[in-house]
Order: sequence, then C-alpha cells, then structure tokens
Amino acid sequence: MMNKLNLMLCIGLCIVSASIMLSVLASDDPTINISASANSERVVSGPGKQLYYDHGCFACHGYNGIGKHNLANDVSAIMTSEKVYLAFIRARSELNPPLPSQKMPHYPESSLSDQQALSIYAYIKTFRDTPPKSSEAAALKAIIEGAQ
Amino acid sequence: MTSKESGIVSGKPPVDAGDQSGAEISADRTGISRRGFIGASVAGGASTVLPAVAFGVGNAAPETPRPVSTPPDAVKMEREVGISVPSVPTATVRRAASDLMVQVLRDLEIEYVALNPGSSFEGLQESLINYGERPNHMPEVISAMHEGAAVDMAHGYGRSEGKPMCALLQGTVGLQNASMAIYQAYHGHTPMIILAGNDENNFLKVHTGEDIAGLVRPYTKWDAQPETLEDTLVALQEAYRQSITPPCAPTLVVLNSEIQKEEAGDLQVPRYSASEVKAISQSQATIIAQTLIQAKNPHISVGRLRSKTGIDNAITLAELVGASVDSMATFGPMSFPQRHALVGTGYDKNYDFHLGLEIAAADVSITGPHLKSVTDRDAAGIGFGWKEDPNLKRRPTPDTLITEDAEASLPLIIHAVESRLTTSISASIKERVKKHSIKNRDNRITSLHKAVEKKRPGWHGTPVSLARLYAELWPMIKDLDWCLASPSNFTGRHHRELWDHDKPYSYLGQYPAAALGYCLGASAGAALAAKNRNRVVINIQGDGDFNFMPGTVWSAVHHQLPMLTIMHNNRAWHMELMYVQYMAGVRGRGTDRAHIGTTFRDPYINYAKLAEGYGMKSEGPISDPNEMVAALQRGVDAVKRGEPYLIDVLTQPR
Repeated sequence: MMNKLNLMLCIGLCIVSASIMLSVLASDDPTINISASANSERVVSGPGKQLYYDHGCFACHGYNGIGKHNLANDVSAIMTSEKVYLAFIRARSELNPPLPSQKMPHYPESSLSDQQALSIYAYIKTFRDTPPKSSEAAALKAIIEGAQ
Repeated sequence: MTSKESGIVSGKPPVDAGDQSGAEISADRTGISRRGFIGASVAGGASTVLPAVAFGVGNAAPETPRPVSTPPDAVKMEREVGISVPSVPTATVRRAASDLMVQVLRDLEIEYVALNPGSSFEGLQESLINYGERPNHMPEVISAMHEGAAVDMAHGYGRSEGKPMCALLQGTVGLQNASMAIYQAYHGHTPMIILAGNDENNFLKVHTGEDIAGLVRPYTKWDAQPETLEDTLVALQEAYRQSITPPCAPTLVVLNSEIQKEEAGDLQVPRYSASEVKAISQSQATIIAQTLIQAKNPHISVGRLRSKTGIDNAITLAELVGASVDSMATFGPMSFPQRHALVGTGYDKNYDFHLGLEIAAADVSITGPHLKSVTDRDAAGIGFGWKEDPNLKRRPTPDTLITEDAEASLPLIIHAVESRLTTSISASIKERVKKHSIKNRDNRITSLHKAVEKKRPGWHGTPVSLARLYAELWPMIKDLDWCLASPSNFTGRHHRELWDHDKPYSYLGQYPAAALGYCLGASAGAALAAKNRNRVVINIQGDGDFNFMPGTVWSAVHHQLPMLTIMHNNRAWHMELMYVQYMAGVRGRGTDRAHIGTTFRDPYINYAKLAEGYGMKSEGPISDPNEMVAALQRGVDAVKRGEPYLIDVLTQPR
C-alpha cells in the first residue's frame, strides 16, 4: 500500500516539477532574471565557493563537481540555466517538496536566498574536469594491460 | 552456549542443526526424487562429539545470595595504583599452573595473545613472556592500547587466517571495554578465544563478578569459568574447538587469578581431540555428485568457506564438473579466487543445476548452521539485531537448504564425482570448461574497460579522488602477496572492479556489525597474520574510524607490522554529515550548520604528525594526486621491508 502511495506521489512530483520548470523558463520573473555572466563575475572570487562548502554541496557532488552526482562540465540538465536551476531548487523545497528521503536536501528561500543560490550556481559553472584517456594514465593503462 | 548449555556436563551432545538434514532437493530442476533424497538423508552426517567436562557457572542461577559490592579499602587501592603488590603463593612454586595454560595455547598453535595489561592475569602474563625454551613465542604477547583494539586484532587475524588468536582482558572492566569489538566479531562469524582474568579474593570488587562472562554472553558462542587448573586446561581446549567449529564465533574463558599462580604438580596437559565438523551424508554427496555430472550446464556459487583447504576443494570440484562459478571474494575472505577462469556467468546463463556452497540461493545450498540456530544465549531477550523485519525482502528460500558445513562436505562430493566420471563425460566437461573460460575472460576484460572508464572523472582533482587512489595503488601491489584489511564501503569499493582477489585473505570484508573503530585494529591483526608470511596489508583507513583507537598505530610500530595505512581523510563522519543535511533540508532550516558534530574542523587533524608521535614513518597531508602517487610507492616499499607506514591523503568525501 505504501509503495503504491509513494509511486503515485513520485509521479505527481515529477509532473508538477516539470511543468513548473517549463513555466519558469517561459516567464519574465525578475527575481530569477539575473545575468549568468554578471553573476559569475560576482561570485567566483568568493561567496559561491564558500556557500558551496558551507551548505555541504560537496557531500554528494565532490569538491570539484565530481562525486556521487557529477556537476562538472555542465553535464547536469538542472544547470542548463539559472532559471531552471532555481526552479528545481524551489520546486523541491517549497512548491511541492518530496517526502523526506536521503536525496538532495531541500533549500527553501528561508535558508538559501536566490542570491546565495545563484552564487553557488555560478561557482558550479566554473567546474571543469579534464580526465586523461585511460591510455594516457599510467595506472589505468597498467590495469588494462594487466588483464590481457 | 555455556558448558552446561552445550550438554557437556551431562555428556549429552550439543544441539546441532544437523537435525535438519532431511532437506529435499527440487525434483523439477534437478531430476532428483524428493523421496530418494529424504531416504538418503536419514543416514545423516557425523556428529560432533565433545568431551564431558564440568565447568563453572554458565547461565545457572547462583544458589547463594550474591555479595554486595563494596568500595575498595585502602590496601586494595594501594595495589590498584601500584603501591603494593598482588598476592603471591606462600609456598615456592616449582611448576606454575599458568605455564600449563601457555602450553595448551602453544600446542594449539595460537600465534598471538593481544592484551592490555591488567591486574588479574599477571600469572599468565609472566608465563607467556618467560615460559619454555622459546619464551614469548607461540603465542607472542602483543601490546594493545585498548581492550577493543586487542579484540579487533584477533578479529582481523581470524578473518585472515580462519583460525583463532587470543585476546586477554582484565575482568569486568576490560571485558566491557572490549564488548563492542566482541559483538562485531560475533556477527563476523570470526573464530577467536577471549581470556578474561578474574581475581575474586584479593582485588577491587568492581573489577570482579560472579559471572563476568554474562556481560558478553549474548554475543559469544561459548564460555566457561573453570574452578580448577585441570578444568581450566580443558576449557581452553574446548574454547578453541568451539570457536573453530561451525558456526565459528568468539568464545570466552574466565581465568581465576589464583589458579594461574598455583603449583601444577605433576598435572599434564590433556590430550586435545580435534573438532569433528558435521558434513552432509554420503548419500547426499552421491546425489549432488550425480546431479552435477548429469547437468549440461551446472553453476556453483561460493560464499565464505573456512580455510584455504576448503577453497582448494571448491576449485577442484568446479574444475571436475566444468561449472561456472560465482565468487564472493570481492565481498569478504575465504571465497573462490575472483580471477579463476571459471568465475563468471560462463558461456550460457541457463543453468540446469545450481549448487550453493555457503550461499543460500541455489537449487541445493549447503550453508552450515547459523549461530542463532545452534544457540540462543540472549537470556535477557535483548534481541541484538536478530529481530526480523516482516517487510524486509529476503532472497527466496532455496529449494533445498542443507545446514551442514560446506567445506567439510566438499571432499565427499569430490570423491563421489571422481568415482563416476567416465572418459566421455570428462571430454564433454573439458570442452565446457574451455567455452566458459573464453567467455568469462571476454566478459572480464569488457567489464574492466567499463570500470576504468568510470574511474577517470576527477582524476586530476584535488582533494584526491578515491577511484584514483585505488587505481594508482593496484599496479604497485599486484605482484605482491597482499591483503586489503579495511572495509571499503566508505571508500567507494573501487577495488572490487580494479583489483584481483585471488587469495583467501585478499579482502577481509565489511564491518560485520557496521560499527566504527574496527578498521585500524583489524588491519593490525591482519598484519600480525601477514608478518611472518611475506605478505603486506593495505589499510585504506577512514578518519572517523581511526580516531576511536589511534593507539593501535603504536602497536603496529612496536611489533613491526607490514601495514600500509592510507588515510581516507575527508575530515568528517561523512555519512552522518549527509544524514543531518537531509534532515535540516527536509525541515527547511538550512544545511549550513550540518557540520556541527559531524566534521573534524577547527582544527583539522594531522594524521602524519599523530603517527609520527607514535613512532610510525608517515607523510602528509597530501591533496595533490601526483604527490600521492609518489608517496604510495614509498609506502609500499616500506611495508615490503616489513615496516608500517602511514600516508595522510586528503580525499574527496566519497
């Protein structure tokens, strides 16, 4: 019974979240209409990095955007734009919070302002990961060759 | 079970799960008739026969009122702080009773006794260090900084070697300090012998008790509190036998302080009778052998056996019948070699007969008796993790579950197979082995390529990626005889995909009771096993775990253990940090204070300096992955020389 209820809630959440994100993309809400470039210039030097650390984003995303859920190199669809990113955060925390779970924590505006959230966003956008090819990393190459 | 519970007092054999040997094999998939199997089972296996000995208190209620503890008087306090000396025999002792206790341990080839010195076993300790032509050898005294560390060492040793070492503890206080480690070893099904000194007459009453074994009885398999020297010697042998007899677990002997100091006179060490482990019946072995031979595509799953002999026999059986094999070697010790050519799904996943050896998910599974099925010593009904969750999804019960020991059963099955193989069957099996080997090899290489690709992200990142740490270490140790002693559930488990687990001790597995504080001590215990066997131990050590009993670093240096400790220094109890984050987030109160009580900040801990203080060669903290690679090589070189080494690596959280 609980499983069915959870499934229905999850489906409902997905639908509502998707519709909110789409509507936000199309809106002109000034509160989230901040230039990404301007924001980036403002935060990379300090507050975004500190906020990323203080709010424990590194716990799942690593200190460089490589972790349980990767963020580096703009691989996350949620990081498509500031609007989508903010909509995702707020949809989770305020409009339609999911049941308590061990997923990404909720970030309502009362605990993380738009400006703070966007500072984190700009910091995340700086993450670049350039791993070597397996043939270029001595250890990985040795592992492959050792198995032949 | 206590000596009384086991039936030893009355000569009654212990309750054994062998009563369940009338299990049936599914007729649908095996072609074996249930009736035939039931009939075959009636013969049963050999029963364990244990000697009749009368020991101490067990679970029995005392017949006289227990004395009330009183504060120590001045004389006793003087002794406690070292001003006065413990009692000594009034007459000259020609042949110390504790010498005979050491002789029993020596005869049983107990290599080590880890202890934190106490005031109730000075008799035994003096014998350990001075008795015999080669004193302090077999067993050798290992200095532990905490009773929990002593038991953790025995735990790591037991998982590594499949046989017990001893932990010697001080009365009620030492036993309570060690209780969590004993609990972990019990859930790990690890053989070990715990000795607890008890000074009933001449010492602080708070260190003694009527039945101190009761402190840990729910999570030990057997205990005794012998009241004579003769019974003590037999109890030590029985503790060994019970510990190694499936289901393996810690056992406990409470040693009377005064008995240790007695004159032994002409008393001789009793003859030890080897443990008889209950195997399946000959008829059951025959049926299983026939089914394996008749099957077109048999499959064998191998869980945790008890010794290298068992693993060798499992290999022999798989090769004889040409079965593809599932191994649990990447999950824990004593399983089938991970890179054996037969390990994998094989060329065809449609198996017509599936045999489980210490794994209960097959057509026929030989799993050995479960601790709970053999003895329930939880007189207070505490539960201790045994409570079944009705909503928990469990593996389906196999068609046939045989609760006899798989390792003891293997020789019977092998013999039955060998006597039935014909030239044509052997040729067919040989062809199948060839096809399995090719397919498994191809699958293995494909999986390895995929795994390597997954390890690349964050390769150059700082702090260091754990995937890179495991990847860089492997080429340095792969040609050594190595043992990964540390649980890897908090460090990404990258070894499972990248390393080859081909020895019984390649990986010692997770925390059996999911309790921190185990890793460093268990690694030191594994290093004790490795010390004289030209083996090195790898300990990828969580910082939270390390800080429970860091004094074990000194023990590793003092005893020159070949243990490479690489700190997974993420400066947090990271799992708990995430739990608090979730909770704060769910409640909408912000996650920026989740670090309170979950992290090691202000100040950060410098583990290299800490290790240096204990006398261990060390370096760090290192956050640059390229610097780490060079440090790892220096660490590996050190342990190859038999020296412990610590590298403090600042790592990504997971």
